[in-house]
Amino acid sequence: MSECLLQASQVGIDFGGLRALRGFDLEVRNGDLKGLIGPNGAGKTTAFNLLTGVYVPTHGEIRMCGERVNGRPPHQINHLGLARTFQNIRLFRVLSALDNVRVACLSEARPLFPRERIAALRRRAGGSSPVASMMDALNNYVDWWRALLLTPGFQEEEQEITRRADELLAVMGLSHRRNEEARNLPYGEQRRLEIARALGTRPRVLLLDEPAAGMNTREKADLMVLIRQLRDQFSLGILVIEHDMKLVMGICEDITVLDHGVTIARGAPEGVRQDPKVIEAYLGDSYLAAHGMPVPPSPSNSTSETPAP
Amino acid sequence: MPAWLRGLVPVLIAIAVLAVLQLLLGHLPFFVYLASIVGVNVILAVSLNIVNGMTGQFSIGHAGFMAVGAYTAGKLSFLLKDVAIAGLPAVVSDQVQFLGTLLAGGAAAAICGFIVGLPSLRLRGDYLAIVTLGFGEIIRVIVQNMEVFGRALGLSGIPQTSSLFAVWFCVFLVVLVARRIVGSTHGRSLWAIREDEVAAEAMGVNTTGYKVRAFVISSFFAGVAGGLFAHFVPIINPGSFTFVKSIEVVVMVVLGGLGSTTGAIVAAVILTLLPEALRTLFLQLGGLGAGVSLAQKVDQIRMPVYGILLVVLMLVRPQGLFGTREVWDLLPRWIPRARKGLT
Ligand SMILES: Nc1ncnc2c1ncn2[C@@H]1O[C@H](COP(=O)(O)OP(=O)(O)O)[C@@H](O)[C@H]1O
Ligand SMILES: [Mg+2]
Repeated sequence: MSECLLQASQVGIDFGGLRALRGFDLEVRNGDLKGLIGPNGAGKTTAFNLLTGVYVPTHGEIRMCGERVNGRPPHQINHLGLARTFQNIRLFRVLSALDNVRVACLSEARPLFPRERIAALRRRAGGSSPVASMMDALNNYVDWWRALLLTPGFQEEEQEITRRADELLAVMGLSHRRNEEARNLPYGEQRRLEIARALGTRPRVLLLDEPAAGMNTREKADLMVLIRQLRDQFSLGILVIEHDMKLVMGICEDITVLDHGVTIARGAPEGVRQDPKVIEAYLGDSYLAAHGMPVPPSPSNSTSETPAP
Repeated sequence: MPAWLRGLVPVLIAIAVLAVLQLLLGHLPFFVYLASIVGVNVILAVSLNIVNGMTGQFSIGHAGFMAVGAYTAGKLSFLLKDVAIAGLPAVVSDQVQFLGTLLAGGAAAAICGFIVGLPSLRLRGDYLAIVTLGFGEIIRVIVQNMEVFGRALGLSGIPQTSSLFAVWFCVFLVVLVARRIVGSTHGRSLWAIREDEVAAEAMGVNTTGYKVRAFVISSFFAGVAGGLFAHFVPIINPGSFTFVKSIEVVVMVVLGGLGSTTGAIVAAVILTLLPEALRTLFLQLGGLGAGVSLAQKVDQIRMPVYGILLVVLMLVRPQGLFGTREVWDLLPRWIPRARKGLT
C-alpha cells in the first residue's frame, strides 16, 4: 500500500458554541479517489478549511506527508503538496485565465534557497523556524531583483512557468480562454479554471469542493470522468465534496458521510447507500429543505449556507 | 543582443534622453522647479499605487515615509556640505554625495516601512490604514520637537544638488520597478492578493511576505522622493509632510485608477499642475489685491476640492480614470512585448 499523504485524526473545531466538526478521521493516499458527502451545513467545507489551514483545529491532529501541520499558514501546507478548489469560486477575477494559473505555477520557480530545503528546516524545527522564514524572505527579494533586471535565468523561468500554465489550461480544455479575464468566463469554465490553478501548485493531494455545483447533468458527468483522468495523469490523491449522491457514488471508491459535524458512515458506495443513518440524514428534514420540499415544523433546523471560504 | 543586456536597454535610453533634456532645459529655474515638484509627486503616486492599487492594501501615511527620506537625506547632505571626496572634481563629488544621501533616505524609509508593515500586514483588514496614519503623525511630531531637525522652522541650507535629470531618472526607475515586477509572475501574486487573499494563500503565495515586500519597496521610493524634494526646495519643514500630503497622494492613486501606473502618473501630473495653473490664473485675472488673496485661497480650497472630486469620481467612474489599464496595453499587437507571457 502506498504511503499516507494526508491524514486527519480526531479533528474538530468549535465556532463559539457551534461544534461544526467533531472526531473527523481521514486518510488520503496516492491514487485514492474519495468522496465527502452530507447535507448542507454538515461541515464538509469546514473540514476542507481545517485540512488546508484556513482554520486551526481546536481538537485532533492533521498530518501532511507525515508532518504535523496544525496551525501552519495555508501557503506552507500548500508547499507540502495540498491544493484545493473553493465551493464559492474564488478566482483572481481581473487576472487573465493564464495569469490565474501562472500565479499557482510559482512552484516552478528556482529560488536561491530551494523550497525543499526550507521545508526540511521547518520539519527539523518542528513547525516554525526563523532561519527558514529568513530564507523565504531572501528568496523573494532576490526574485524581485531578478525580475527588475530581467536576468537570463529569470526570463527562462518565466517562459517555463508560462509553458506549464498553458499546458494545464489545455488539460482542462481552456486554451481558448487563455487571455480572457477570469470573471468573464462562463460558470462551468470558472470551475475548471479553479482546478487548473490548483494543479499549478504541483499537488500530491487535491481537494475539490463541489466542483460540479451549478453544472447541468451532462457537464457533471464529463467532469467526473475528467477528475478520474486527472488522478491518473498527475498521480494524485483526490477528495471530492459533492452534493449529488448519485454522482459521487459513480466515481468514488470510498465515501465519508457527515451530518451535523459528525461522521455517520464511511466505506464503499454500496454499503453507504444502504446505511440507515445515511438514508435518514439525506431523507430527513435537512435533505427535504435543501431540495425545496416541504419541511415538517421542527425547532432544530439550521441548514443555512454560510459565506465561509 | 546578449540576454543580460536586454534588461538594461531602457535604462540606457532613459539616461540618454534625460541627459539631452537636462542640457536643453536645465537652466530654466522655474521650469525645473515645477518639473521637479511634478516628478516627486509622480514617484509618490506610482509607489503608493504598488501598495494601494496593486496589492489592495490601504496605506494613508505616505507623507510620513517621504518625511523620513527628506530629513535623513537632507540632514546628511547638510553635514557633508563642506566635505569633498578626494580626487574628484567638486561637481562630481557633490553628485556622488547626493546619490549616497538619496539611497540613505530611501533605506531609512524602507526600514520604517518594514517596522510598520510587518505587524500590521499580518492582519487582514484596515489595520494598515490606522497604523500608517499614526506613523505619519508620529514622524511629524518627532521632527517638530527635535532640535537637530530644526523643529517647526525646519531645515534650511541643504545643498541644492538636485536636477531635472536626477528627479526624472528616479521617476523612470519607479515606473520600471512597477512595470517589471508587477508584470512578472511574482508581481501577479500581488494582484492575486488584492483579488482574493484566501485563495492566494491556498495557492502557495506567502501573502504576508509579499505584502510586506511591496510595502517596503513603496516606502523606499517615498523616501527617495523625500530625499529629492529636500535638495531642490529652499527649506523643508514639518508642514510639507502633513496628513494632507498623504491624502493628496491617495487621491492621485484613486483618481488614476487603483492599480494603473499610467493612471497614477497622469493623475499626479494633473493634480500637481492644476493648483499651480489656478494660482497663476488668479494672479493674472484679479490684478494685485484680489488676485493675491484668491491665489492664497487655492491652497485652502484644495482639500474640499479633493473631497468633491472623489465623490464625483465614485459616482461617475468608480474605477478611476484608467481602471487597471496601462498605456502599454494599448500598444499595437505587432510591437514585440518586453517579455513573453505578458497578457
Ligand atoms: N467561520 C465560521 N464561523 C461560524 N460558523 C461557521 C463558520 N464556518 C462554517 N460555520 C458553520 O459550520 C457549519 C458547517 O458549515 P459548512 O462546513 O460550510 O457546511 P457544508 O457541509 O455545507 O459545506 C454550518 O452550520 C456553518 O454555519
Ligand atoms: Mg460547503
